[in-house]
Amino acid sequence: MSELPLQLGGVAPQPRWSLRLTAAATLAVLVIGLLAVKLAQLQVTDGSRLAAMAQANTIRHLVLEADRGIIYDRHGAPLVENSPVWSLVVVPAGLPPAARDRAEELVLLARLTGVAEEKLAAQLLNADPFAPATVKANLSQADELAINERLPELPGASIAQRSIRRYGEPMVFGHVLGYVGPIDSSHVKSLRAAGYQPDEMVGKVGVEAGLEELLRGTDGWADVEVDARGQVKRVLETQAAVPGHAVYLSLDAALQRATAASLAAGLARDHKTAGASVVIDPRTGEVLAMISLPAYDTNLFTRGISQADFSRLLNDPDKPLLNRAIAGQYAPGSTFKMVTATAGLQEGKITAETLLACPPYINVNGWIYHNWASYSLGRMNVARALATSCDTFFYQVASMVGDVTLARYARAYGFGTAKAIEMPGVTAGLVPDRIWKQLQCGVPDLNSDECRWSEGDTITFGIGQSYLLTTPLNQAVYVATLANGGHLLRPTLVHEVRDASGRVVQTQKAEVTSDVPASAGNIQSVREGMRQEINPPYHMNFWFRASGVPADGGGKTGTAQWGGSGLDLPTHAWFVFFAPYAQPEIALSVFVERGELSEVQAAPIGVDITKFYRDNLSSIRRQ
Amino acid sequence: MIRRLDRLQVVLAAMLASLGVMTVFSARADWQRQVVWVIAGAAIYVAATTFDYRRLRTVAPALYGGMMLMLVGVHLVGHTALGARRWLAVAGFPLEPSELSKLVLVVVLGAYLARTDRIGWRAFAGALGLAAAPACLVVTQPDLGTTLVLAAVTFGMLFLGGARPVQLGSVLTAAVVMVPSLPNLLRGYQQRRLEVFLNPSLDPLGAGYNLIQARIAVGSGGMFGRGWLHGMQGQLGFIPERATDFVFATFAEEFGLLGSLVLLTLFGTLLIRVLRSAGVASDRFGELLAGGVFAMILVQLLENVGMNIGLLPIAGIPLPLISYGGSATITTLAGLGIVQSVTVRRRRVVHEEPLPINGQESLLGTITRRAQA
Repeated sequence: MSELPLQLGGVAPQPRWSLRLTAAATLAVLVIGLLAVKLAQLQVTDGSRLAAMAQANTIRHLVLEADRGIIYDRHGAPLVENSPVWSLVVVPAGLPPAARDRAEELVLLARLTGVAEEKLAAQLLNADPFAPATVKANLSQADELAINERLPELPGASIAQRSIRRYGEPMVFGHVLGYVGPIDSSHVKSLRAAGYQPDEMVGKVGVEAGLEELLRGTDGWADVEVDARGQVKRVLETQAAVPGHAVYLSLDAALQRATAASLAAGLARDHKTAGASVVIDPRTGEVLAMISLPAYDTNLFTRGISQADFSRLLNDPDKPLLNRAIAGQYAPGSTFKMVTATAGLQEGKITAETLLACPPYINVNGWIYHNWASYSLGRMNVARALATSCDTFFYQVASMVGDVTLARYARAYGFGTAKAIEMPGVTAGLVPDRIWKQLQCGVPDLNSDECRWSEGDTITFGIGQSYLLTTPLNQAVYVATLANGGHLLRPTLVHEVRDASGRVVQTQKAEVTSDVPASAGNIQSVREGMRQEINPPYHMNFWFRASGVPADGGGKTGTAQWGGSGLDLPTHAWFVFFAPYAQPEIALSVFVERGELSEVQAAPIGVDITKFYRDNLSSIRRQ
Repeated sequence: MIRRLDRLQVVLAAMLASLGVMTVFSARADWQRQVVWVIAGAAIYVAATTFDYRRLRTVAPALYGGMMLMLVGVHLVGHTALGARRWLAVAGFPLEPSELSKLVLVVVLGAYLARTDRIGWRAFAGALGLAAAPACLVVTQPDLGTTLVLAAVTFGMLFLGGARPVQLGSVLTAAVVMVPSLPNLLRGYQQRRLEVFLNPSLDPLGAGYNLIQARIAVGSGGMFGRGWLHGMQGQLGFIPERATDFVFATFAEEFGLLGSLVLLTLFGTLLIRVLRSAGVASDRFGELLAGGVFAMILVQLLENVGMNIGLLPIAGIPLPLISYGGSATITTLAGLGIVQSVTVRRRRVVHEEPLPINGQESLLGTITRRAQA
């Protein structure tokens, strides 16, 4: 035996590598080699791609939604709150891997949410397995509690909390505040660039839209590591959200409520359904109250309005979605006569003492233009003409001044400009003149009757008819200008803006857009007419006596025809008013859609609002 | 006797078991319990080394009977988990008889095939019959993975035992013929696993999920790995069964290609050492035992790593010494202990320091060996 010497020392014998043992060893080496090659391919060649997939599995970028700023009235009463809503979110990869367990969980989820099981299955199985899918949004509190209790049995499911806007008194503040809603598909792209999430809520109407940038805040984010069930294990990096600014509106909540109540009561008394009223501080331009009726429940929109609700609002003949205060355009009627008066006085066509006749009608080029009275009211000065609202007096003045000059004065009082107030949808109204009328026609037929400005156009312009249009907001600004002696103010809805820590970042200052090009004396003459109108012997004074409000101020009613020209046209009723007379604190406009008699329908509403102001707010606001 | 030990095999087994405990710890399984299993396995390893493997021949029929009893017992009173009945409670410990059956089959087939020097058709059929009985009980648990291991052990031992090419060929042919009818034999979930293996995107959340996640884990380990306890996929639970069937994915993610190659090298060296023990065995029984253990470890390594890297369909097979689990760890260590016993009692010169107890048998073994050659 040749191995003998080797074995003596206890050294292992040479193993006998038979053919089969060698084959087995070779097989082992081959198997391990094969595994090694495949491993190298996975870990080196595909390594970075698979590592990226692991990263995508486990690292998630979360957006931390910033709280939207709260909107308050000027005294700090909140008008909207952010209230939590819950939605059920499922990470498909977190569902049990076994088909039977998964099916059981789907059945349970379907039962808890009321969503059909097939729909759930379709939604979850087609989704990105590692992205949270919202299975049911807007869970009721009861559902939320019920599901929360069972979450331990529901791997992969979790409850996500968001906040939505809840408007406290939508029927009072709705038109001013507006509402937020999901981003329109047409805006997704542009808003995406501004950092919006596709499912984010954005202000759509009212100051929610107009002050979007202030209210929105800045979203934060967090990069988190999640496990296979979607549970956050570790926060890698985070940036806190910055809440939106708190906005203190210029509105006085109490006055806003009173205005809404007065307008609603006034409309109901005369079986009217639509109207508007704007109350402005003539010293600052701050809007103290702004009401448009009918109102609607803005809360319907915050969770996504149902088709039925939306078409009901859309098809309502009273157009509740229209904010008449800023977007309703109507002829001002006799409330315009202060402009004509100012123009006549300032242009030297009349003086405060000039007496003109007030016949029942005048004849212009064969056309008859009537006064409201079928008898002569005698000769009168401009103040009395305003107090009696003599149409024929102002026909004459308008004719003397001319349409172009009259239009200039109208613009000076803010007619025909869309006010830069903090909400979208503000309309300008319309100040016509001969150039405007010709532009309406285009080139071919400049001298036809439809295109050429006529003397009739001028004189009816003088009493706020013709093609003239205005809005309740413009009317309030106009009367505020008369109240403060000719300073056209920029109306505003914002009193103050504070950041999340309560620091004041913006305070509203009165901003004079321009001054009416008229002497203080001339404006005083016009104001005197407005003062007389609400005092004895004129019967407007009745409403003040009836309400116990001192007739200390200036007012003007207007019953404006609309829908064409002629004698028996439908009318809108207006009342504009400021008080007190010497140092006005409020200037207001009241509009009653389809009102027949402004003295009876619009004026009492204004008196009512003034009464509330005097009784409740005047002393406070004088401090 | 210490001098005769295959010390390298001890070192390799110890290293693998340590890596196993580390990986099980990282996979957040009950690592302390795994340590207990390893210690218990080590004790059995020492006992098996000291125990003269040749005495196993006499107890082989009893072992076979005991194994069959346990496998039947699993069917009657076993615990069901993960859709299969695999566990028996023995003295409060969950015991997986199908794991033990791998090693018992090695011993039984070794004893049976060692009776003759050549494998005639009768012996061939007898061996197949001996293997078929436990295989049938295991496959109906259902436990396809262990059945595959039993089949591989049988084939390997027949091969190493000197079965004729025509015999081996007929077994292989039968297996190939069976493949088309496989879908009918498989349970629903097993069919599904096969389909999904062929196309993982069929069901990315269900059966395909395991495959995809394991591949992502292995791949994201890259060249050097993410570091022990720092595997994202493993730590965050994206790897399914991360301490047992998919323990290799957990390992490969944390230790990378480098670590995986080290692990494969350890296994490779161990396997060669086991084959070497077969080569030095003093008798045909010892040779067959070592060969059986070799086949047992090799096929488990291939299938476990193979399914972890998407090379083979999923079948629940543990990675020897690495996966969490008492029955598997103890079985593997016991098998290696038996191999060690074969090594210690290796072929040597007749006159040279006969072991005090077993001298006579050792002599007999050598003679048998000579006769075969």
